[in-house]
Amino acid sequence: MQVVRGIPKGNVVELLGVYVRYSGSDRPAILDVNLEVPPKRLVLITGPNGAGKTTLVETCLGLLKPMRGRAFLLGADTSRREVVQARRMCSYVPQDFMKPPYESYLAEHVILLGFSAYKAPFEPVNRKERERVLWATKLLGIEELLSKPMGTLSGGQQQKVLIARALARRPMVAFFDEPFASLDRESRTLVAETLRKYVDSQGATVFVVSHDISPIVGHADITVKLSDGRITRVEGC
Amino acid sequence: MLNIFSMAILAAILAGCLCGAIGFHVNHFKVTTLSFSISHAALAGASIGIVLSLDSTYSAMAAATSSALLLGLIFSRVERGRELVSMAVFSTSSAIALLAIYMSTARVLATTSVATVLWGSLLAVTPQKLIILLTVTILFLLYISAFRMHIDAILYDKKLAEAEGIDVQAHTLTLLLFTSIAIASTLKLTGGFLVFTLLYNPVASASQLARGARHQLILSSLLGSASAVSGLAISYLFNLPVGAAITLLSSLTLLISYGVRATVERTRLREASKIN
Repeated sequence: MQVVRGIPKGNVVELLGVYVRYSGSDRPAILDVNLEVPPKRLVLITGPNGAGKTTLVETCLGLLKPMRGRAFLLGADTSRREVVQARRMCSYVPQDFMKPPYESYLAEHVILLGFSAYKAPFEPVNRKERERVLWATKLLGIEELLSKPMGTLSGGQQQKVLIARALARRPMVAFFDEPFASLDRESRTLVAETLRKYVDSQGATVFVVSHDISPIVGHADITVKLSDGRITRVEGC
Repeated sequence: MLNIFSMAILAAILAGCLCGAIGFHVNHFKVTTLSFSISHAALAGASIGIVLSLDSTYSAMAAATSSALLLGLIFSRVERGRELVSMAVFSTSSAIALLAIYMSTARVLATTSVATVLWGSLLAVTPQKLIILLTVTILFLLYISAFRMHIDAILYDKKLAEAEGIDVQAHTLTLLLFTSIAIASTLKLTGGFLVFTLLYNPVASASQLARGARHQLILSSLLGSASAVSGLAISYLFNLPVGAAITLLSSLTLLISYGVRATVERTRLREASKIN
């Protein structure tokens, strides 16, 4: 398979009989996972703590390699180096995003760093990228945070900055790991609606990992339920 | 033409600046243990150079770059026991170094060639070595300028950078190669057993004195140069080994940095409690 530019014709993510085990652990964190996700979908991945949700997302991105089975991201085999190219068309907001109080990077700089992977040596940030930063921050109502150091922001504000970074990249596929964890109710609704609009307007695929399904379940096209490392149900595929 | 002292001072400035800057990245890329092992591989290479009557700078460079490549490749494939692999390379390199020194024709540790490799020497700086050091410094500055955004993204969050398609593995390997060449280039000045001092102490001091990444990088380079030059001066004035003088001075700087930091924090706390 080849990595396809533009809106992919094939599946965005394909997991075929995937087992992933963390080093030092006897039991796989996810086992015998089969999943095919077509483009232009909002996918909700849910399940209790320790179900393997984060492992599943990191396997899709190729950050974790299958010990058995095969995983493809935008047609790229995640166990091969071609996955680095595929990742450039993806965004990710990790669960462990919090930075300590002394983190001095300004929020604007952190969002701009999201464009790094596309940059040639010595290439500076351009006007179009700064406009995209403004666009993404306006969507989430966080323009006033741009000039503040990350370490001075609250958990919810830091999470919104990373969501803005993910959107500013205009990804074909985006993975959000517990994006509502630090947000208040109003912000949860705003983020859920923003992600839905993003899928519809950009033809992108968005994966949302959340143990609390209430903010997003009404917007999801596909719901994947995980338990004990196995997919127990897929609805809407 | 520069005299021996001018060359030694210039080499100390360059070595301190280069190692300070590399040490900052090594620390933030979390490959400190690897750089420690690479330092000892350089020592093993230099010792083999003595046995084979080769220029020990080049044999150190060959051994250090080989170990950097080997460790870099192993680390990209192995998840479990990475630190142990690194320590195995460290102990093997140390054993090879000691064996090579034992086997060398120089039976006494104070013999010039052996002493230079072990303790460091002001006389080890030649115009050729100075040019190598200058070239490596310029190349490293060019590298961090060219890939500033990639490197910043990795420094901010390594996993996020990797997920967004930055080739973290390639940048880590490049950094390890620069580390190996920098270590090999400074080895004869600081001595093989203490060459890694300039990689760790300046950045540790800088992280106490400055908060921003860019400030830490600049301060680390400045402190590295200051420690190297003053160590060189003390070594010359009191006829002491250069490596030990540089190490003790940079350790003293680290101690002072901790003191300054503690004082600043105590003052801030006192002022905050006055306001409340």
